[in-house]
Amino acid sequence: MKDLPQTVFVVDDDDAVRDSLRMLLKSAGVHAETCASAQDFFSIYDASQPGCLVLDVRMPGMSGLEMQHELNLRGLTMPVIFITGHGDIPMAVEAMQHGAFDFLQKPFRDQELLDRVQRALVRDTENRARLRHTDRIRERLASLSPREREVLDLVTQGKANKMVAGDLGVSQRTVEIHRAHVMQKMEAGSLAELVRMMMAVAPSP
Amino acid sequence: MTAPAPEVLALLEAAFDAAVIIDERGRIEAFNASAEAMFGYRAADAIGRNVSMLMTAADRGTHDDHLRRHLADGESRVLGRGRDVRAQHRDGSEFSIFLSVGRIANTSPPRFVGFLHDTSLRRKALATLEKERQVNRLYLDLAQVMLVATDRSGVVQLANQRAIRVLKRGHSAIVDSNWLESCVAPDDRATARTAFRALLMSGHDEPQVCEYHVRSSDGEDRFITWRGVALRDINNLVTGVMLSGEDITDQRRAENEAHRALERMNSVARLATMGEMAAGISHELNQPLAAIANYAQACVRFLRMPAPDLPEISGALEQIAGQALRAGEIIRRIRSLVRNEDVRRETQDINELIREVHGLLASDARVHDGKLALDLASPLPNVTVDGVQIQQVLMNLVHNAFEAQAPEHDGAPFEVRIATRATAAGDVEVSVSDLGPGLAGEAEQKIFEPFFTTKASGTGLGLAISRSIIKAHDARLGYRANLPRGACFYFVLPAHQEAPP
Repeated sequence: MKDLPQTVFVVDDDDAVRDSLRMLLKSAGVHAETCASAQDFFSIYDASQPGCLVLDVRMPGMSGLEMQHELNLRGLTMPVIFITGHGDIPMAVEAMQHGAFDFLQKPFRDQELLDRVQRALVRDTENRARLRHTDRIRERLASLSPREREVLDLVTQGKANKMVAGDLGVSQRTVEIHRAHVMQKMEAGSLAELVRMMMAVAPSP
Repeated sequence: MTAPAPEVLALLEAAFDAAVIIDERGRIEAFNASAEAMFGYRAADAIGRNVSMLMTAADRGTHDDHLRRHLADGESRVLGRGRDVRAQHRDGSEFSIFLSVGRIANTSPPRFVGFLHDTSLRRKALATLEKERQVNRLYLDLAQVMLVATDRSGVVQLANQRAIRVLKRGHSAIVDSNWLESCVAPDDRATARTAFRALLMSGHDEPQVCEYHVRSSDGEDRFITWRGVALRDINNLVTGVMLSGEDITDQRRAENEAHRALERMNSVARLATMGEMAAGISHELNQPLAAIANYAQACVRFLRMPAPDLPEISGALEQIAGQALRAGEIIRRIRSLVRNEDVRRETQDINELIREVHGLLASDARVHDGKLALDLASPLPNVTVDGVQIQQVLMNLVHNAFEAQAPEHDGAPFEVRIATRATAAGDVEVSVSDLGPGLAGEAEQKIFEPFFTTKASGTGLGLAISRSIIKAHDARLGYRANLPRGACFYFVLPAHQEAPP
């Protein structure tokens, strides 16, 4: 499957600022889409579209911070670069605490923006690759039988076959057979790889 | 035995006190009318009986012995000096008398005369008087105000508990001391003396009010509002003064504290508003500036390309021009906001406008420990002004004046004066002068420039704004030195011209 081209979504209510950002990105060979409001963005955005967001912190209607919150709720992981005015540093700090990728104070040098945009696009690519990886692990986990899942949980806790057999009340031979099925279905070459897979899909603490 | 001489008896009858003559064995020989009234016996019944019948049971048994001993060796506990004794009425009731006894010379056998003065009445009167005094004292002491009475020379005659508590001196340390010298705070003695003299001279009974500090024994000054009246004797001559004082130290402190809090709040509010305005302005200006920067940087990038996209560049340059104009428009809007062109002009009496803010300004004066004097000429022509704006200018000037004097408050009169007068041309001059250091050299040149300030915490905008307000009234805010010292800010408002009919 070939990836879609990366797009920078610029959301700013100020026509001139929005258009000038689009032109600046275009002059650096970056494809940009512009939206005048958060609502506009959500109406056109498709989650499979890779890229990053450039958001004005202050906007009428839904502010940049509220929009970030909405993105998190919708499970959208596109990196967000905030653009703030002079006195908006506290807002920028709050945005960073809620997972913003970076922020810029306007007016700014073109290179500052372009560098951040490049890093954000790299981050998005990594995020998407990781997501695809964990999606595949989840698919494989879903193919295990209940008994195989039990065996997997116990062996990834570091228990030997003999102990697993004791815990489950079955013979050691039966455990060995289940374990072979688990390794096969999970496409894991070793116990270490299996443990790494489980860590990748474990809910973050 | 011979009876007393008739002259003696006549003398006794005329005496106001009871008088009894006895012989050497204690038998009554004479009993005057006052004695009859005092004891309830008639003289005829008393004469010939032993005098001990007039005594209480406690004394009765020992009298004859005393008499015999005296006759034997001349010793006496009674003769020549009076003493308080108890006596018994015919009806058995006892009462107090003052008894003085004398031996009648050259009589044989010896005779004695006793004068008996009924002290019960006097004692009763004394007791009543004492009780009245105590009640009065109680009233004085219950009073929540300080009560102090002095004679004409200021020596304290009376001080109540409240006064004792405030002064933290004993009653005896206050009474008989000179009020002005021992109790009034040294700095306020001149004030107190003037008020004291005025009271002595006052021809009426209206209480006179004055305020000064008293100093307690531990050196603490308390601020007291005094109401004084002159005390007069029955010939209507002034004998002294009575002062009732209310300790308003805490109240005044609370007032000043409240005023300071309000002032702090006001300056915080002003700062907040200015901060918000500044944030708003910077955001407004930032938008076109950010757009201009972006477009310009995009143009540079486009121009570096092997085949520059000229229509794109041309569009960006047009945008840059447009955004620069937008920034200019924003600045123009802010200027007109500050200039406040939408003023309300009304024809008014300038003196009235000044009196309206006098209360506010006076409390400012109090915080700065100074006085605000009004020197308003009347009548004056009316002026056509925005009253609120003119009042703001006045408040700003007065506040500056107090701040200018505050640092070098060295006991010099601490006064700001607002004066109005008609000029030769018939216009109205308003001036605010102080007795501070005035303006020197550079300060005089720059005082009206925005952001110039001589105050540690000043914004430097007050005078600049004041001047633009006055300018909008077709007048000029000027400065001149106040003579002999201090600064004077003034402006001349054109007199209101009646429109021709």
